[in-house]
Amino acid sequence: MTKLTFVELKLLVREPGAMFSLLIPLFILVIFGSSIGPGDTMLLPMALAIAVGLVGLYMLPTTMATYRERGILRRLSSTPVRPASMLVVQLILQFVLAVVSCGLLVIFAGTVLGAHLPTRGPLIAVTFLLGTAAMFAIGLLIAALAPNGRAANGVGVLLYFPMAFLAGLMQPTDKMPVILARIGEYTPLGAFRQSMQDVWAGGAPDPLMLVVMAAYALVISIAAAKFFRWE
Amino acid sequence: MAVIEVTDLHKRYADLTVLDRVSFSVTEGEIFGILGPNGTGKTTAVECVEGLRRPDGGSIRVLGLDPVKDGRRLRERIGVQLQDTQLPENIKVWEALDLYASFYAKPRDWRELLEEWGLADKRTARFGKLSGGQKQRLFIALALVGSPTVAFLDELTTGLDPQARRATWELIKRVRASGVTVVLVSHFMDEVEELCDRVAVFDGGRVVAIDTPAGLVDGTDAEHHMRFTLMDGDLVELGDLPGVTGVSRNGNRVVVRGRGDFATAVTGRLARHHILVSDLRIDKRTLDDAFIALTGRSFGPTH
Repeated sequence: MTKLTFVELKLLVREPGAMFSLLIPLFILVIFGSSIGPGDTMLLPMALAIAVGLVGLYMLPTTMATYRERGILRRLSSTPVRPASMLVVQLILQFVLAVVSCGLLVIFAGTVLGAHLPTRGPLIAVTFLLGTAAMFAIGLLIAALAPNGRAANGVGVLLYFPMAFLAGLMQPTDKMPVILARIGEYTPLGAFRQSMQDVWAGGAPDPLMLVVMAAYALVISIAAAKFFRWE
Repeated sequence: MAVIEVTDLHKRYADLTVLDRVSFSVTEGEIFGILGPNGTGKTTAVECVEGLRRPDGGSIRVLGLDPVKDGRRLRERIGVQLQDTQLPENIKVWEALDLYASFYAKPRDWRELLEEWGLADKRTARFGKLSGGQKQRLFIALALVGSPTVAFLDELTTGLDPQARRATWELIKRVRASGVTVVLVSHFMDEVEELCDRVAVFDGGRVVAIDTPAGLVDGTDAEHHMRFTLMDGDLVELGDLPGVTGVSRNGNRVVVRGRGDFATAVTGRLARHHILVSDLRIDKRTLDDAFIALTGRSFGPTH
């Protein structure tokens, strides 16, 4: 298991997609970072949501579906190791990727941009965990249903844009039609961005938003487990 | 000693019977072939034996273990190369071997395998950059890294050029020489004829024959031809010889048709009558003939 994790980590580092999912949110932060004031509570939560969304919708399903397509999971099941170990290792590594990506954003924003950073660590952690869980559940469902890696990739990208739009990652929600903004709050990515923004503004996230994310995580991962095939 | 014992194996998918009362046993130290056209249940049968699929009926014992109940213990002792599997593009050869070695309680030293399988200079090459033959050698090495008692190799040479196929055959002989029992799934007649000690012929989900390749060929008793050219015009009566079914002559060219070992009788009589012939040729009977005789049809256009 240790060796599997280590080898998979090396493979993740060699994967250009991993670099992209680190760089794209950072790039967005740099581009828009110059125009924000020191008290801004909007931009960094947006960038964090983009980062988590990319890992959950793009990296995770593409990797898992490709591994199944290439028969790697089936090959594993012919060894004494269970293929579920691979699933666990991937979830851990993709989670680490999301943490690293968000960590880079926060450090960059805190130092170079001098942006406001919240002090309530536990609240951030809970929000981050729930948001990541919800996005990873969607990623797993894509991996479960997609026939191959390319399809998973395509579905991930296709889902990403409407979800990012509804979540207010493409423009501030107050510039959106009210009805869309309302709907957006109840999407996993929207609830994540909104909750992060609440924490950044110094308050606590709306418990309803946390429940929304937890519900997505639970229901969708049950569906993913039901539909998942090892081969 | 039988290392694999399969009795009355049944497998259905919905309305389709994939395996119908399949029975065979594999003896320690042999290369056992599972031969048949694509889609006749070969791979399904082997995957049941490996514990990757659950049979609907029948019993399987591999090294005395039940592949379903004792799956984990069994997988410590078998090595598998599956049809149509790949590794991640970016994994390096040594990393793959090192990783798979870590799955087993008592693995072989993968550095030795690198040398043995001619991959030492590809040690740090990525999987995606390997040639077809190199990938196959890596797959065999991965199947052997757990130092298995039985190795299962499924359609190993599909997609390889003739030279790489020949090279792979030599490697498989080496696996047997090292004491590993090999189960070889193939739809290539020549491969099975070259490598296997015994063969189970699959057709439509059933085993239609089990024998040595030579035994299968002899057992079919198909009519075949012997041709020669007379050096000086005269020919003796050959039609009465045992096994001969017909003689035809066109100028100095003679064709004798027959079954079994009629050719020995023909050459014997020619010699006794001091009849000199040239261009003597006996059509070799092959496993193809045996398969047609067993199933009433040819292998079909698989390639």
